[in-house]
Amino acid sequence: MSNNGSNPMKPFNGRLVKIRDLATEIKLFQIELLEENGRNAFLTYQPGQFAFVSSYGGGEAPFGITSIPEQTNLLEFAVHRHPHGKTTNVLHRLSEGDPIGVRGPLGQAFPMQEIKGKDIVVLGGGIGGAPLRPVINHIIEHREDYGDLTILWGAREPSLLVFTEEYDSWRAAPRTRLHLTVDHRPPEWREGNEGLITTLLEMVSPKADNAVTITCGPPIMIHFVALTLRKLGFALDQMLVTLEGRMHCGIGKCGRCNLGDVFVCTDGPVFYHSQVAEFLESFL
Amino acid sequence: MIDKIRSVSRELLENGDVSYVIGYEMGTRGGTRPAIISDAQDVEKLVWNRECYANLTTFLHDYKKPSRRGEDLPRVAVMVKPCDSRTINVLLAERQIKRENVHIIGLTCGGMMAEGKLREECLRCNIRTPIVYDTLIGDPPDVDVVDDMQDVSELEAMTAEERLQFWLSELDRCIRCYACRDACPGCYCTVCEFDRDDSLWIGMQNELPEKHFFHTFRAMHLAGRCVDCNECERVCPMEIPLSLLNRKLAKEVRELYGFEGGMNTELTPFITVLADGEVSLI
Amino acid sequence: MRHISHSQLLSLLDLVAKSQTLIAPKDMGKGHLHLRPVEDSSEIVFEYTRTDLSAKEMVLPHTERIMRFENRSGEITITDLFINKDQVVFGLRPCDAHGIASLDSLFIRQDPVDRHYSKRRDSTTLVGISCPQMWDSCFCTSVGGSPTERKHLDVLLTENEDGYFVDCVTERGEMLFKNIELEEVEQTRMSNVTLNDSVPVPEDNLWPTVFDHPYWQQVGARCLSCKLCTFVCPTCRCFDLRDEPVTSNAETVVHERIRTWDACTSPNYRTIAGGHNSRPQKGQRIRNRFYCKFHYYPVDYGAEGCVGCGRCIDVCPVNIDIVEVLHNVDTLLRQPATEVKEETR
Repeated sequence: MSNNGSNPMKPFNGRLVKIRDLATEIKLFQIELLEENGRNAFLTYQPGQFAFVSSYGGGEAPFGITSIPEQTNLLEFAVHRHPHGKTTNVLHRLSEGDPIGVRGPLGQAFPMQEIKGKDIVVLGGGIGGAPLRPVINHIIEHREDYGDLTILWGAREPSLLVFTEEYDSWRAAPRTRLHLTVDHRPPEWREGNEGLITTLLEMVSPKADNAVTITCGPPIMIHFVALTLRKLGFALDQMLVTLEGRMHCGIGKCGRCNLGDVFVCTDGPVFYHSQVAEFLESFL
Repeated sequence: MIDKIRSVSRELLENGDVSYVIGYEMGTRGGTRPAIISDAQDVEKLVWNRECYANLTTFLHDYKKPSRRGEDLPRVAVMVKPCDSRTINVLLAERQIKRENVHIIGLTCGGMMAEGKLREECLRCNIRTPIVYDTLIGDPPDVDVVDDMQDVSELEAMTAEERLQFWLSELDRCIRCYACRDACPGCYCTVCEFDRDDSLWIGMQNELPEKHFFHTFRAMHLAGRCVDCNECERVCPMEIPLSLLNRKLAKEVRELYGFEGGMNTELTPFITVLADGEVSLI
Repeated sequence: MRHISHSQLLSLLDLVAKSQTLIAPKDMGKGHLHLRPVEDSSEIVFEYTRTDLSAKEMVLPHTERIMRFENRSGEITITDLFINKDQVVFGLRPCDAHGIASLDSLFIRQDPVDRHYSKRRDSTTLVGISCPQMWDSCFCTSVGGSPTERKHLDVLLTENEDGYFVDCVTERGEMLFKNIELEEVEQTRMSNVTLNDSVPVPEDNLWPTVFDHPYWQQVGARCLSCKLCTFVCPTCRCFDLRDEPVTSNAETVVHERIRTWDACTSPNYRTIAGGHNSRPQKGQRIRNRFYCKFHYYPVDYGAEGCVGCGRCIDVCPVNIDIVEVLHNVDTLLRQPATEVKEETR
C-alpha cells in the first residue's frame, strides 16, 4: 500500500524520463522514481494495480500501471488527454526531464496466480488496453505458466489503437493470437476487422472450457462483452473486469468510487463478473 | 381553488395530456413542498395555501430530455404563481422549454405568508394574475403593495468600502452548498462555471474570495433575468440577503435598458443583445 | 458530581484560548451559529439548540490544505501540512460527537490511516453540552445516541441554574480541568429530558432488499441536487481533491493540494473520463446518500452513518425528510409489494 513517510496521500517524487505519442490524444509516460522509499513501494506491483500520477500543480489522476517490473525499472502510464480534464491537459504539456509524482501502487491486482494453467482471453477497448498490456506482457514473460492467449483489441479507429509497436511481439509469442478491430475501417487499413469488439468476439468464438476472460474498456463495452461471453458459454466466475469509479483518494476514504458498499479503489478495481452481479449498484 | 386545481390536474393526467403534474403538497413539518405526480389518484395530495413558496418552474429543467432515447419529450403541467409565470417567459425566451410541452396552470395569488405576515417578496409584488398560462384558476385578490426598495436604497447610500464590508460579512457564513443556484429556475447550466472540475474561474475552496466571486457573478448572470421569486434567499440556510443583490441589479437593468425580466418572451438585453455599432472588428 | 460556575467556566475558556485554538459557537450574523475560533469567551453564544454546521468541520475542514508543492527549477519539495496547534471544541452536542466517532471509524480505524485527519483528531478536545431537550427534528435516540450521551466526548457539561455539572469522560478531558478547584455538589436529580417518539430504523442488512424499489425515484424527483444535506451532516465525508496555485515567481512555483467537501447528490459526482455517469438520475443519487447512511457505513465501518441530529431535515429546501424516508423504508420492508407514496405524518 502506498505510504510515503506513512502519509498515504503523499506522492513519491519522480522524473518524467520519456513521453511519446501512443495514439491520438494518448501519450505514454515513462517515469523514474527518485527516492528509495518510492522505488521500494513499487518493487513488486502487479498487473491490474493503478497509481495516481501527480502533475505538481495540476492535480493527480488515477491510471493503470501499464508496465511490468520484469521488463523495466521505470513506471509506465498511458494518459488520454480529456478535453475538459485539467490534470490530463497539464500532464500532456510536460516535457522530458520534468518532475512528476506517483502515488501507489494501489488496488487489487489481476489474480495471475489463480489463473495459471488456463486459457486467457483478453479484451481491450481503446484506452482500456492500458491496464491489459501488463497482463499480456506478464503472460508472455511467464509463458509456460499459462494456456492459450487470445487477444481481442479494438478502438473506434486505427489512430486510437494503443501499443501498436508491440503487436508483432505479441503475435510472435507461442500459443498467442492477436485479433484487431476498429469501428470504422479506412480502406487502406488491412490489419484487422471492422466492427465492434463484440462482433469480433463472436467471430473468434474462444472456447469457454478452462478459460478466463479479462476485459477493460468503457462501461457500455464491458456490459455488451459480458453478454456476448455468456452467450459463448462463459460463466460469470470466469470473467474478470477492471472498473473505474472516478477515484479521488484511492484508499477508501473520500467515498466517491463506491458501487453499493464496495469500493472500486480498495476492493477492486479488478472484480469477477460474479462479484459485480452481486453489487447493490450497477456500474453502468 | 383547490378543488379546481385537483380536478384540472386529474383531467390532464387521465387524458394523457401530460405525464406529470408539478404542484404543492403538505410538508412533514408544516409548510408545503413540491409534488411531482404522475398518477391521477395522487391529485388528492395537492394543496394550495399561503405557504406555497416554491417556484416550481425549476423542475421543468428535469424534463428537457426524454427519459429514454428515442422517446418523445414528456409533456408536463406546472403550477405557477404570478412570479413563477415570469420565469416561464424567461425559459421560453432562452429556448429552454417548448411552449407546447408545458401546460401552465396559473394560480392567482395574494402573496405567501410566514409567521403571520406577508413575505417580503410578496409585499413588494404588484402582479396578482400570472402573465402566461393555459388554465387560470382563482380570482385576483386585492393586496396593498409596499415596494419602497428601502433595503436597496440603504445599500446605495453606503460608501463602496462599507458596501464591500457589508457583503463580505454576510457572505462569510456562506457554505457553497449551491442551494440558491439549484433552487433558481434561471440557473440551469449543466456544468456551472463556478463548480468546474478544472477550477477555471474560481477554486474549490470555501474562502471569502471564492464566495464573493460566486455570488457576485451569479447575480451578474441573472441580471435582467431574475424575477424576484426569492427562492434563493428562502432556501439559503444562512439567510444571506441574496435577493437584495439581485434586486439591485434588476434595478440597474431597468434603468439602463428599460427592461424587466420575464414580462414577455424577450431575451434580457444585458449582455445577450448587442446594439448597432457595439461590435467593431479589430 | 463536580460543578463549575458560569464565571469559572468563562475564565477557563479564556485561559484555554491563550494556549490552544478555542472553537465555540459564534454568531455569524442573524443568529446563525457556527463553530469558529474565538479570541475569548465573550464571543461565545451559550444559548442555542445546535450550530448550523456540525463539529465535523473541526476534524475534516470544509477546505483543508493537505500538502504544499514547491517547484524550484524542476526540483520538487513536498511539505505535508498538518494541524500545528491543539484545539478545544466547546459547545458541541452529543450527536456532533457521535458523528466524529463515526468519522474516526473510517478515517482512522480503516487502513491506511488518514494522517491529516488523525493528527487533527489527536489535537482535539471535545467539550460538549448536554441537550436540555430534544427538538422537533431530533431523533438521536433512534440511532444509538441520546441528548445526554457522554460516550464520544472528552467532557460533558450539563447546565443547571448556577453553571454546569462537569463529567470528565477521558483523561484528555481531565487535563482541561486540572488546575481548577471544582466544587463537589450533591448529585441532584438532573431533570429527565423528554424524548421524542422513536423512529423505526431498519437493520442495515435489510436495506438491500428495497434498493431497486421505485420509491427512490419518487423521493428524488423533487431533489435539487444541491449539497446542503451533505454539508450540514455530521457524518457525510465525501471530498474533492485538487491542486490550487499559491504563488509563483521566477525561481519558485508553489501549489497546494487541497481537499474540500463534496456531495454525492451533485449531478456530475460520478461522471468518469469519457463522459459516462453511473448516477445520472436524482433518485439514484439520493438513494446512494440514504444507503451510505444506513447500510454502507454500518457494513463497511461498523459505525452509525446517521446520528439523528435533524439538520438535514431543517435545511432541505424541498423537505426530503430523513425521518419520513425511514418510516417509508420500514413500511416497504414489512410489506414488500406495497407501493409506498410519501405521506406526511
